[in-house]
Amino acid sequence: MIVFTELAQYVVNGLVLGALIALPALGLTLIFSVQGFVNFSVAAQMTVGAYAAWLAGSHLGWSPILMLLLAFAVPGALGVVTDRLALAPVRRQSGAHTALMLAVVSIALNLAIENALRFIFGSNLNNFDLPMERNLQVWGLSVGPQQLRNLVTALVIAVALAAFFSLTRWGKAMRAVADNTDLARLKGIEPRSLSNLATFIGMGLAGIGGSLLAIDTSVDPSTGSRLILVIFAASVLGGLTSLYGAVLGALVIGVAGEVAMIAMPPVYQSLTAFLAILVILLVKPTGLFAGATGVRK
Amino acid sequence: MAQGTQSIKIGIVIPLTGATSQFGATMSAAAKIAASDINAAGGVAGRPVEVVIEDDQSNPEAAVRATRKLIDVDKVVSIGGSYASAVTSAIAPLCYESKTALFTSSGADSITKTPHNGYIFRTSPTVTLQGTRVGRYALELGAKKMFFLGPQTPFAQAYIDIISKLFKEAGGAGQGLIYEDKRASYRTEVDQALRTNPDVIVLGGYVPDTSVVLKDLYRAGFGGKKVGFSFGVNQVLADGIPQEVSEGTASLVPSASEESPAYRTLIGKLGRPALDSYSCQVYDHVVLTALALAYAAASSPSGTAVRDSVRAISQGGKGEKVSDVAQGLKMIADKKPINYDGPSGPLEFASNGDVEGVFFRYEQVQQGKMALLKVA
Repeated sequence: MIVFTELAQYVVNGLVLGALIALPALGLTLIFSVQGFVNFSVAAQMTVGAYAAWLAGSHLGWSPILMLLLAFAVPGALGVVTDRLALAPVRRQSGAHTALMLAVVSIALNLAIENALRFIFGSNLNNFDLPMERNLQVWGLSVGPQQLRNLVTALVIAVALAAFFSLTRWGKAMRAVADNTDLARLKGIEPRSLSNLATFIGMGLAGIGGSLLAIDTSVDPSTGSRLILVIFAASVLGGLTSLYGAVLGALVIGVAGEVAMIAMPPVYQSLTAFLAILVILLVKPTGLFAGATGVRK
Repeated sequence: MAQGTQSIKIGIVIPLTGATSQFGATMSAAAKIAASDINAAGGVAGRPVEVVIEDDQSNPEAAVRATRKLIDVDKVVSIGGSYASAVTSAIAPLCYESKTALFTSSGADSITKTPHNGYIFRTSPTVTLQGTRVGRYALELGAKKMFFLGPQTPFAQAYIDIISKLFKEAGGAGQGLIYEDKRASYRTEVDQALRTNPDVIVLGGYVPDTSVVLKDLYRAGFGGKKVGFSFGVNQVLADGIPQEVSEGTASLVPSASEESPAYRTLIGKLGRPALDSYSCQVYDHVVLTALALAYAAASSPSGTAVRDSVRAISQGGKGEKVSDVAQGLKMIADKKPINYDGPSGPLEFASNGDVEGVFFRYEQVQQGKMALLKVA
């Protein structure tokens, strides 16, 4: 019984962590599906979102909902601007290695944004002006109220996104571009404005994920980049083009990492993420959840 | 350019960014003040000194690149700063193999156990000493069951072993867990720790991870005592987390020589009310290099000259106590023996390079501020 409670507690901890990873993983996946490359600057955009939310909440006294909206809009807009400035020129000279070059440039972009934040705000930790709450005890399991709110927020956003993709014109057009850019263009869809929209939404999601993460921990210039490996792993696990896959991948990575601690020393925690990437790429490169409805149906 | 006017270069490898960067800015300022103090006194045998500061990014790999550049391109005679143990462990072989003196403020015992042929000088207390002091302090607080939580570092396991042994000898129990430092949550680690019902938790981490661990301990309702080290529990941490989370957390801090005239002068020049021990140590790393080279009076300054002369100017009963670098350089020029005591302490080195006679400040977070409990 004790072992069962322990296991259940680790699963709960993993789900809570997975929900935090899910939003940036969704962003990464969305941008990959529409633009065809892994934009590693999601990590820095998470941090941008965290700083935006922190400034709004702790300095301007905004409510949490408005705080999260700003955490969506600022990295979204910055994402589009940096994409036009740094990535679009690379994209125009299309060649065999364009996707790889774009990924490398996005790593540089990530460093540039992170260090700009460090230059503006310094390296110190910043704390949200929200009350600290003790964990709740439910059936012998403990869970934090803020972490529950994070979980719910992440789920609500994932559902809203699903609705956007299946119900709206823009969402459907984006899926069409993800599926086949040339066919979509023949049908009169303008890929460029769609790619801007995908970047805006993708980076915005990363920003919200980053601010939820920062509410739980703290805001510093490395808030997002500390997690880039697990986010990438979640996205790869989901097959990089499936939105549901990204969410499920994040939850699986979260739970697997925590449950592994029963048998494995905690210091090897990110091994689970590395192993997940390795195994998926070797055994099933299309991802665990390929076939599930996503951007690309 | 004539040999006589070329500057003598001293490398400084310090964390300006990353997890260990809390003291980076003041370390950098202290190094520059040391160089300007030396140059204002006429330099070393007429030659000015120049500090070349490199950011180790709290990352051993970046530190190795920076050190290679300092040794191969800048041709520095010594390297100072070198703060995190993982960084120092990585760059130490580059230094002693190239006969460059290395002054470090890292704690890991293993650093001075390397075959360094005397090229390493440690100005900070070792892990064994710090761990023993933290363990004894936790016992003084009346704790019986200790649990250590810290990230993977060259000293984490040593802390667990040393402190657990002290608790067992006192009839208590001790154990620990080493975690990964880049996590968004330490809930599962904290759950594992609390399952052993500890009455004291020793926090072995740096600021970012310690802040998350403390939050998760608070959320889990831990009511026992918390003791940490200066690199993790300090004012930066206290400023970064809510008061109720940090309240009562104690910290053991290697103390700068706060009563000494050298310390007073340095904080005056920096325009600060106080200064951490590590920045004081960086100041002394530069000064020790300059004084040693002045004493050696070699035609071409080298790491070997620094190695061979540091003890001659920093310790021994014959020399007159000197706390001012200008006065020290003048006395060396006059062939008078000196014993330099800097802002970081008396700077007496054992034969393996470890510093002797260090004091600690015992501090505690009280309503968001670090309060001094005692110096011992």
